[in-house]
Amino acid sequence: MTRKVKAIGLVSGGLDSTLALALVRRQGIEVKAVTFYTGFCITETQRRKGGRPDGSIPRNEALRAAADQEVEIEYVDISGPAYLDMLVHPRWGYGANANPCVDCRVFMMRKAKEIMEVEGCDFVFTGEVLGQRPKSQRRDTLRIIEREGGLEGRLLRPLSAKLLPPTTPEQEGLVDRSRLEDISGRSRHRQMALAGELGIGDYPQPAGGCCYLTDESFARKFFDVLDAREARGEERRLDREDVILLSTGRHFRLSPRAKLVVGRTEVENALLEHHVPGRARLEAQVVLGPIALVEGTPTWEERLLAARIVARYGKGKESPRVTVEWREGDLIETYEVEPEQDEARIESLRI
Amino acid sequence: MPAPCRTIDTSGRLCPFPIVEAARAVKAMESGAVLLVIATDPGIALDMPMWCKATRNEHLGTFREGESWKSFVRKGAVGR
Repeated sequence: MTRKVKAIGLVSGGLDSTLALALVRRQGIEVKAVTFYTGFCITETQRRKGGRPDGSIPRNEALRAAADQEVEIEYVDISGPAYLDMLVHPRWGYGANANPCVDCRVFMMRKAKEIMEVEGCDFVFTGEVLGQRPKSQRRDTLRIIEREGGLEGRLLRPLSAKLLPPTTPEQEGLVDRSRLEDISGRSRHRQMALAGELGIGDYPQPAGGCCYLTDESFARKFFDVLDAREARGEERRLDREDVILLSTGRHFRLSPRAKLVVGRTEVENALLEHHVPGRARLEAQVVLGPIALVEGTPTWEERLLAARIVARYGKGKESPRVTVEWREGDLIETYEVEPEQDEARIESLRI
Repeated sequence: MPAPCRTIDTSGRLCPFPIVEAARAVKAMESGAVLLVIATDPGIALDMPMWCKATRNEHLGTFREGESWKSFVRKGAVGR
């Protein structure tokens, strides 16, 4: 009796990982799909904030891909301190923004290797495509990811397999290399054609990833947190609460000592309410306005500036004076301020 | 809906954790047993049917009740 070949597939639900899953599945290989929760997925955050502007809720594409191909799927939470530490101190550096893609992939592969061993699987596969991404999908970095992830010879990239050295499961005859692909580069035309051939019609439009770390505006806020801590003589570090706040509200750097976060929607206001401990909570009185938080130790001038900005984003922005409540622990103060009208100043403070 | 043999309340937890907790609960149950998942994340109405299909468990239904959703899952014979 021949042994059942088993593999772990890293699936995000994007077109490439969906195709990789189908290519491995059609060889009769038993697959367990794994999807990693990092805390930086834009779609997940969109869902947390109540969905898209039109009220619709984006699908969880990893679940959709696994459901379509009837593959067991497991969500693995890697968003803890070790992952955050890797983001702050990447060995292979950042991409264009705050994205240490090589380090992130290495981190994921190490976790995938553990799962592979626990599940008694023969190899791990991904939807990576040679040359598709400038940093993490070059020939040399694909090799680093495999080696440093502890998966030497056991990491299959079905979409580019014919352009890469044969892996151990291919050499052992567990995987038929001739039925894998030789796709490379940034164009998705080959993948779309392959989707047609494999009967895969339902997949998200290729959009170059859904990770906040690759977003320029998010990256500014990310590095601002680290730089401000360093300027205060603290360690450069990030915690889970930082991650939630980084994707919530408008951020203003008042000084290295103080930052203001202003909610943009009712959902964001509600989210900020969960993060009041340890921060000052600001809200305009009498007129409707956003909830805002101030982190750090602002000077008196910075407190008034924060109050003026909060007033500017409320319904009283045209009023001569607005009362803004400042709550900090048991301390409650009210400031009578003119809403900040100097847009250039606001922009200069915006992170 | 059949009476659940186990209920988990994931209220306040957001995508993907209601599914993560449901998966953990189902794993510990006998085939044919029914799990009720209470959630406040509206995404559960989309996620639970897909997760059940992927893992060969039976999605009996997901219903809104005020601010919460109630999702019933029967563990399949080969459910995981």
